[in-house]
Amino acid sequence: MTRLAGGLINRSQSLNFTFDGRRYQGHPGDTLASALLANGVRLVGRSFKYHRPRGVLSAGSEEPNALVELRTGARQEPNTRATVVELFEGLEARSQNRWPSLGFDALAINDLLSPFFTAGFYYKTFMWPKGLWEKLYEPAIRKAAGLGRLSMEADPDTYDKGFLHCDLLVIGGGAAGLAAALTAARSGARAILADEDFRLGGRLLCELETLDGAPATDWIAALETEFDSLPNLRVMRRTTVFGIYDHGIYGAVERVSDHLAQPGARVRQTLWRITAKRAVLAAGATERPIAFADNDRPGIMLAGAMRAYANRWAACPSETVAVFTNNDDGHRTARDLASKGVHIAAVIDARPKATALADYRVITGGMVTASRGRLGLKSIEVHANGRSEWIECGALGVSGGWNPNVHLASHNCGRPIWNDVLQAFLPGEDGPSGVLPAGAAAGHFSTAKTLRSGAAAALRALNVLGIAAALPSLPRSEESRYGVAPIFHVPGRKRAWVDFQNDVTMKDIKLAHAENMRAVEHLKRYTTLGMATDQGKTANVTGLAVMAELTGKTIPETGTTIFRPPYTPVALSVLGGGDAGPHFRPRRLTPTHHWAKAQGAVFVEAGQWMRAQYYPRPGETHWRQSVDREARAVRSAVGLCDVTTLGKVDVQGADAGEFLNRLYSNVMATLKVGRVRYGLMLREDGFAYDDGTCARLAKDHYVVTTTTANAGLVYRNMEFARQCLWPDLDVQIFSTTEAWAQIAVAGPKSRALLARIVGGFDLSNEAFPFMACAELTVCGGLRARLFRISFSGELAYEVAVPARYGHALMERLVEVGADLGVTPYGVEALSVLRIDKGHAAGPELNGQTTAAMVGLGSMVSQKKDSVGAVMSRREGLAGDRRRLVGLRPVDPAGKVVSGSHLFAEDAPQSFDTDQGWVTSACYSPHVGSMIGLGFLENGDERLGEVIVAANPLEGESARLRVVPACFVDPEGERLRD
Amino acid sequence: MLIPHPLLGLRDAQEFTYLGDARLIDRPDPTAPDAEAAFCDYVFLRDNQAGAHRELWFHEQGDRSWLVVTRDTVTHEVLCAELARDVALSRARCSK
Amino acid sequence: MTDLRPITALGTVTPGYASFGALDLRENAGLALASLALRRGTLEPTPFGLTLPEPGRWVAWQGVAALCTGPDQWMIEAEGRAELDFSAELKQVAPGCSVTEQTDGWVAIEIVSRAGTGLEALLSKLVNIDLANFGPGGATRTGLEHMSCFVIRRGDVHAAVLGARSSAGSLWHALETAAKRLEEKVA
Repeated sequence: MTRLAGGLINRSQSLNFTFDGRRYQGHPGDTLASALLANGVRLVGRSFKYHRPRGVLSAGSEEPNALVELRTGARQEPNTRATVVELFEGLEARSQNRWPSLGFDALAINDLLSPFFTAGFYYKTFMWPKGLWEKLYEPAIRKAAGLGRLSMEADPDTYDKGFLHCDLLVIGGGAAGLAAALTAARSGARAILADEDFRLGGRLLCELETLDGAPATDWIAALETEFDSLPNLRVMRRTTVFGIYDHGIYGAVERVSDHLAQPGARVRQTLWRITAKRAVLAAGATERPIAFADNDRPGIMLAGAMRAYANRWAACPSETVAVFTNNDDGHRTARDLASKGVHIAAVIDARPKATALADYRVITGGMVTASRGRLGLKSIEVHANGRSEWIECGALGVSGGWNPNVHLASHNCGRPIWNDVLQAFLPGEDGPSGVLPAGAAAGHFSTAKTLRSGAAAALRALNVLGIAAALPSLPRSEESRYGVAPIFHVPGRKRAWVDFQNDVTMKDIKLAHAENMRAVEHLKRYTTLGMATDQGKTANVTGLAVMAELTGKTIPETGTTIFRPPYTPVALSVLGGGDAGPHFRPRRLTPTHHWAKAQGAVFVEAGQWMRAQYYPRPGETHWRQSVDREARAVRSAVGLCDVTTLGKVDVQGADAGEFLNRLYSNVMATLKVGRVRYGLMLREDGFAYDDGTCARLAKDHYVVTTTTANAGLVYRNMEFARQCLWPDLDVQIFSTTEAWAQIAVAGPKSRALLARIVGGFDLSNEAFPFMACAELTVCGGLRARLFRISFSGELAYEVAVPARYGHALMERLVEVGADLGVTPYGVEALSVLRIDKGHAAGPELNGQTTAAMVGLGSMVSQKKDSVGAVMSRREGLAGDRRRLVGLRPVDPAGKVVSGSHLFAEDAPQSFDTDQGWVTSACYSPHVGSMIGLGFLENGDERLGEVIVAANPLEGESARLRVVPACFVDPEGERLRD
Repeated sequence: MLIPHPLLGLRDAQEFTYLGDARLIDRPDPTAPDAEAAFCDYVFLRDNQAGAHRELWFHEQGDRSWLVVTRDTVTHEVLCAELARDVALSRARCSK
Repeated sequence: MTDLRPITALGTVTPGYASFGALDLRENAGLALASLALRRGTLEPTPFGLTLPEPGRWVAWQGVAALCTGPDQWMIEAEGRAELDFSAELKQVAPGCSVTEQTDGWVAIEIVSRAGTGLEALLSKLVNIDLANFGPGGATRTGLEHMSCFVIRRGDVHAAVLGARSSAGSLWHALETAAKRLEEKVA
């Protein structure tokens, strides 16, 4: 066993878990990585390209190697970093990208073939024959090179989201973050402290140095007690701030139940959108390795991580370890491990001078030049002072220096700034505004400096916000030196890994340089350096330092790639969030929805609306049977259709008529009270975009309708006209779409049916003619509005009542109209009836048609200005000679297909000879065949001509006769009857 | 982004829909002899400038105000937000 | 009076009600609504004794309340008067104003915390508004699960959400889900 003494694990409780089917035990407080190391497991995965055996490299979210498949079944999650997985009872994990087993991986052959797998190899190798790429090469490569597998099952978990607002957001709960949070919390400011770990403390948890002479955990515990008592501070553990967006908006994911043995009882994760006036970025620093030959063997890890495992998790990968460092921090690892009884084989310090912090062998001016051990480190070759020697060790801690975590401060295209003393990038000034870096993220590497900088950053932020705050007294702590030397790699001919996750070696970077892929963004794309789940957190700086060396430029001249969210991987599920299935998006139900459902209606989505499409009756086995019956009922008796979804806008004010005059192409101001007029709206570019009716209820009060689809857009445009174009007009508008249930009562017997509910209201043609409207009462005193308008071409009305009565009104009409043959009809029959009548609808008003094309050219008043009027007269539009026509198949059994293009008979079918297209088509029970509407060149002059409708998608064409765009009652006698 | 609504304070940009250049307030005179050319410019031509840009935002999921927001298209910094109605009224006064 | 029977926005005869931990959700089917807008040159009226509130605010007075919905526009609420012609009444007391009936355009869901806590936690899961500036008397329109809603802070432990009547079911589902999750968290 390699479990040490001490640590922040609860040894009184054991947790059972499996890795690749083998049983192990760990303790609460362990991560999967620490528990594996404590169980002597060094080999945890295979590399992406070469299938090299790999072990745990880091102790945090930067981990490139230790990716596992976590859990089983639908909850199986690939590419999970073992270093951040909190151990729970029954945890199951499997290694990835190996076959048949982790110890023996057949594809390790790739490693022997590595000369073929260098950077850019896909681009060069699989160029020919082209046809094989999709069928052979890509599938084969995807199978061989890769990460974990998806379960291919639906995600069973639920995800939540939320919104938080605060004065100060503290990102990171280490020394700097805690000091910042403390400063803010005591000031009374609204503050949030978010930390990705499950335990506050950050690096403090991983060190033996004391605070005020006591373990750091004492100070943290006291702080947590104080935090709990302060309602103005919200502490969010297991919460990663993954991105900074414009104006102080931060994205964060809280892992609510990922750490629970029994998931699913609660939401899995919550996506928080945090709006903060200021933020302190206390995200810490990430150690970088030094590249040397075969530096990727299991057992070779970051020195700081090795120390973290020993101190926080009481785990060590081996009983004999060595350290390879270019700075003083590496010596702290040797000292701490030695104090826990681990044998330190040697500390190889690349610098010419170094001081040991304890009793261990130091090799100064040394380099690790090679390593041995197939599935785990056995020994390293050290070169110093002209001599080489092999040193036995089961683990090697490597420290190439620490990189401040500048990522978040570099979102919004911020550019980090190189610091020569620290040999690292520090946050730049041009990143997201309002973000103050502190602690190690700002390049302060001793605990004392970190604490001070965190408190000072919070103080600065609060001062700017005008919130009085005081520096808290901070505990005495270590102020050790760091002293890093600019050494990024060990020269040599064998492969030395820079990016472990993507198998990018020194050779690949040299190749990229040789092939002129020298700009960092090119380097990244060509070699894949810095891609995938870790985004090169341990690799990028080394990679560009090497490129700088090759080009003879400085590191700042070489620069970094652009930093983008997310900082660490975020599950798409939590970004997608919320509901799937019927609650995926809001659904709008009509007032008669529940009634229609009880009738067995089939529904169709129209935007967010659920509309009754048709009402099948017993014995009807095909939708056409139902639709034909419904359409016939309207033509012969009376039908009912819920038309609530049409937009309704209440327009009032002294200038309401003038306002509508300017919006509609035709004149509305002259409309008499108690009358309705059809209206057409143009866009300012002159094309038609919406139509509807305009009813005048009083001198200063109109109600206009819009199409269902454009209700929101028309309202927005009306507000634009009211506020931006003609603010001097006295007009007020309100949407009332939802307030009224509106039911179309259509058919020759509609008057007879309505007469049974309108009490004494005179429905006679004289008293209430076509295009009349009135406010009245129905069903014994219910306030209602009645409009005599027709979409079907039949005698028809629309009756509106307060929405909550829509259901009952529909029931009543059906009940009292039984003897008249009353029939509810859905949008399918509605569409058939309007095509019969030649009314333009969505397919005709598709944004490419002019008023003249739909036969409404005379509606564009020449006497007044309106939106789009000027542009409708421009040559290109006015000269368009396509006109709406009716189309009937020459063969009565023939088809009319919408979308077909129209050609003269015997003409070749090409763009040049295209004469128009079919916009709408249906079977008309009234006509007894299929019919269509379409736009045809000079269509109004070609009635009776036979043309061809080509449907090349289906390889079909049909001969159609051009007829007037009205198949029923062309004189309009029925609706005026 | 956050839009500093002149009446409601800072509001998340998700509540708004975007239209574009605030010059759309200046609808040309339809009776002018060159109306068609003026409308052509008005409908189709936009400057695509780097820097301060006056643009129209509609507070659709809010109070239904149209705003003229001055935004730096390079940094996304919002320099100013006004009620479009006020802007339009002051233009009308200027033109009279 | 009509012999037709109304249904609530949620599609039932009795208003919706549900309880999750300390939070009660109740469909307020009796709330009458009408919008009021100033016309050019009209002075701000004081309908039913209400002093019309500033943008972002809601005021209540003897069973009637008002919230500002936009420049020179308000929504007037009247408790328990949905079956009356409230907009006609309002018109009487707001001469020279534009009044539009809104009662049936909306579903009103009242949210009350019996224990006095949890209301802000619930709202923070639903709407992106700064709750520190949204104490009693606050009212605003915003997006809630892609639905446009009015959110009204009627009191310390009482808020209301007004959403489009047609999407009442979706709105109820959203509130219910959020309330349920808060209860899980406490458990």
